[in-house]
Amino acid sequence: MARVEYDDVSKRFPTQDRPAVDHLGLDVANGEFLVLLGPSGCGKTTALRMLAGLEYPDSGDILIDGRSVVRLEPKDRDVALVFQSYALYPHMSVRDNIQYPLRVRKQLTAMERLSKVDRVADLLGIRQLLPRRPAQLSGGEQQRVALARAIVREPRVFLMDEPLSNLDAKLRTHTRTELKALQKQLGVTTIFVTHDQAEAMTMGDRIAVLDAGKLQQLGTPDNVYQRPANLFVAQFIGSPPMNIVDARRDGGALVLTGGWRVEAPRGLAGSDGIKVGLRPESIDLERAPASGAQPAEVLVSEPLGSEVIVNVKLGDALLKIRTGPDVRPDPGTPVYLRARPGGVRVFDASSGAALN
Amino acid sequence: MVEGPGVTTRAASRVARTAAAPRGASWIEALAVHAVFVLVVVFFLVPFLWLFTAAFDADAVAYIRFPAAPTLNNFVRIFTEHDFGRALLNSVFVAGSTMVLDVIAVALAGYSLSRLEWRFKSWITYAVLLLQTMPLSATMVPIYGLARALGLRNSYAGLILIHAAIELPFLVWLMKNFFDNVPRYLEEAAWLDGRSKLRALAEIVLPVARNGIGVVAGLAFLAAWAEVLMMIILIDSQDLKTVPLAFYETLRTQGGYTEVQYGLVAAMGVLYAVPVMALFLMTRRMMVRGLVASSRGL
Amino acid sequence: MLARNSTYIAGVAPAAVLLALFFVGPALWALYSSLTNLALVGIDAANPRFVGLDNYTRLFADPDFWTVIRNSVTFVVGSAVIGQFGLGLALALLIDHAEHRRWWLGTLAYGAVLLAWVNPTLIAGFLWVAMYDFFFGSLNHVFLSSLGASSVDWIGSFPMPAVIVANIWRGTAFTMIIFLGALKTIPPDIYEAARIDGANAWRRFWDHTLPSLRPIAALALLSITMSTFGTFIVIQTLTNGGPGNATEVIALFAFHTAFKSFSIGYGSAIAVVMLGLNFAFAIAYLRWSRARA
Ligand SMILES: Nc1ncnc2c1ncn2[C@@H]1O[C@H](COP(=O)(O)OP(=O)(O)O)[C@@H](O)[C@H]1O
Ligand SMILES: [Mg+2]
Repeated sequence: MARVEYDDVSKRFPTQDRPAVDHLGLDVANGEFLVLLGPSGCGKTTALRMLAGLEYPDSGDILIDGRSVVRLEPKDRDVALVFQSYALYPHMSVRDNIQYPLRVRKQLTAMERLSKVDRVADLLGIRQLLPRRPAQLSGGEQQRVALARAIVREPRVFLMDEPLSNLDAKLRTHTRTELKALQKQLGVTTIFVTHDQAEAMTMGDRIAVLDAGKLQQLGTPDNVYQRPANLFVAQFIGSPPMNIVDARRDGGALVLTGGWRVEAPRGLAGSDGIKVGLRPESIDLERAPASGAQPAEVLVSEPLGSEVIVNVKLGDALLKIRTGPDVRPDPGTPVYLRARPGGVRVFDASSGAALN
Repeated sequence: MVEGPGVTTRAASRVARTAAAPRGASWIEALAVHAVFVLVVVFFLVPFLWLFTAAFDADAVAYIRFPAAPTLNNFVRIFTEHDFGRALLNSVFVAGSTMVLDVIAVALAGYSLSRLEWRFKSWITYAVLLLQTMPLSATMVPIYGLARALGLRNSYAGLILIHAAIELPFLVWLMKNFFDNVPRYLEEAAWLDGRSKLRALAEIVLPVARNGIGVVAGLAFLAAWAEVLMMIILIDSQDLKTVPLAFYETLRTQGGYTEVQYGLVAAMGVLYAVPVMALFLMTRRMMVRGLVASSRGL
Repeated sequence: MLARNSTYIAGVAPAAVLLALFFVGPALWALYSSLTNLALVGIDAANPRFVGLDNYTRLFADPDFWTVIRNSVTFVVGSAVIGQFGLGLALALLIDHAEHRRWWLGTLAYGAVLLAWVNPTLIAGFLWVAMYDFFFGSLNHVFLSSLGASSVDWIGSFPMPAVIVANIWRGTAFTMIIFLGALKTIPPDIYEAARIDGANAWRRFWDHTLPSLRPIAALALLSITMSTFGTFIVIQTLTNGGPGNATEVIALFAFHTAFKSFSIGYGSAIAVVMLGLNFAFAIAYLRWSRARA
């Protein structure tokens, strides 16, 4: 159980021109499930490995429970890491893999060790795998063994580097739920790395969004979804992503591409060059002309079962609009758009920062 | 690790090529190729044929002839009259110790070179390969002087240290390649599980790279067993005589034009060569693969 | 960075000490003593004097040295470039071919060549001493006599070809193994594509097989040139450089100078020339293999 802090941590690999992690500051509360989210190559793994002691920061400090750990060897940090590739020891049985960290620590007798391994194995439903070798396991089974090896130690912090990315889609969604429940049950502070925004949304207590080594936003899933701090977060989170269109101010209103006028949100800060972001569910689609609704033309409808994504052409922009399963306008159909109040996000066109 | 995916694809491609080979090779071609093979086999095996027939021939001669009454007499005589047992023990001890020393030094150095992150790392590798190509025959005089100065002549320690050094560049380089194929996350997992770097190497990395360790151990033993040049310049004492030295001496004093005792020399030769051949042929695949890798590398 | 790597630097240390002691040290010592008149015995053994480049001027003026260089070149070209390389390449191609055809005699030939190579060098020398023996060697007593021909004094009349053949026997396996390995890495689809394009067996060989062996061939050639250049045991056992100095190659020359005439300084100068030539080859080797990578 521990609190983890990244204090202005930077790291650049000698072979690289730009830092892998750039002035990262994070404060992870005791027992929290924090997701590090970002595209591939944005520095998630590097951030995690610095906490584990496998990489050294160039500057800044990393603290666990208020104590700096940057000078500690990995073995002395009491953190467990589930590798993306699981890193199971190929020459050891599953049982030996799981009990290896306990054997290293020498605090338990052999009997205690084995019963603990059995308990953890039961928890994860892998009791029957114990005598096997890693090579004889499926990807999902290997993932569980790796998890068991981390859990059995009762470390201060769990680190997980895309542990679900090698599983097939169905197993992945299933394991998500399980893993989250398990973490709540164990209450161990967890930092979970993923590039999958859906995974981040469903699992994280909070999400830290990273791009090019820099922290873009830190907040609850709702928060980063509803109030993205900048264009990057807005487009990275959500599927389909937020619609971003060029716009300009006109008194109390905003004029979007194609001449669509929407009401400016309250408390909008300065700046002239702006872009407007609208989530696919923040736009209402109407069949009949109405006052204040913007006419547009349907390009194509994509039914997804429980919902339909209607692609609409507005000026030179393409908007994706989420509608109910029974709304399926044919291509060419004229439709009328209305932005939901409170669903309009305004960004600075040059810096990308949110203005409301 | 080395017999990973590379080998499977190779095996697969082999199958593909065999399957695609055209039927009905002309009999002239088959005849010509087989004739060449017969010549090759004769050329390369006839000297051995002589070695083995002479060793079991009580009064062996310089030409091949099947002994009228095969006998172990020559073998008995080299042990009773030429103290060959002592030489065998010395050789086993020296080659065995060299092997142990080499495996330790090579495992540490190969692993370190594989994991070291340094701008000039490739230069170390080149330097190692450069040393590898240095002819022993060029440095034998200085090595002789050095061994004399350090009191390493006529001592087991000298033999072991020098033989360990001789094969070191090649073996370090070979082992580095094996370690390069062991993913780093394995040892990183062990560190996080609480192991020091040295114990993680011993408990996790070495078992995974055990094929490489096997090749290194085998080559170190064989090289120290067969090597003779350093033995000649380092050892005068009869007590420290090794198999190659015993063979060399018997060849010098018994063979030649004076008093020809080919049977004795051949018997020693058999006991000198057979362990090498047996060990090599048993582990042929592994050894050959290591050597091919050595030429391909870099 | 350095702190992070300190464990690894410590790991290299034991090997580095051994290499410094028995490779770098002797090479440097040879360089130093080649500039002195150090001897194995006598006054010069205790009090060597610095003589500058005297040993080298003497060496380059020594007709024996140039004979030795000529012998060494003949030996390297004959046994490595033509013999081991040519025969090794031919055998690799034939054995690879035989493997596709499932002709088992190819495997036997492969084993025979390999056996000669793993066999200790000293034994190789001895076996050929017996093979070449004037009165009772197998070559004369078994082969020539069964043909009705009279005996030939192989070593006396053809010393250089005799040591060359022995060394070919001993060392052909290396190039053969290297080429066999390279042949197995040629992707089969190249051949299939060529066959579809209508190329016959010879065209496929010239257009695809040989070019894909070329890079490895250069490396193999340099590598056997270096190892053949240092050959000592085989020749010492067979002829010890004789008759006269007909087979005296550079390694024997250095040895004889140091241990027979006891002049270490002069012997070291020879060793330094050897090391220098070898260094040149090694640099060529490294450049070539880096260019490949
Ligand atoms: N060992 C390394 N050496 C050099 N560059 C590295 C190394 N590890 C990562 N990088 C670089 O650092 C950046 C961040 O990598 P990483 O943390 O692995 O990203 P992520 O896990 O988010 O995909 C990338 O540009 C990557 O190429
Ligand atoms: Mg990553």
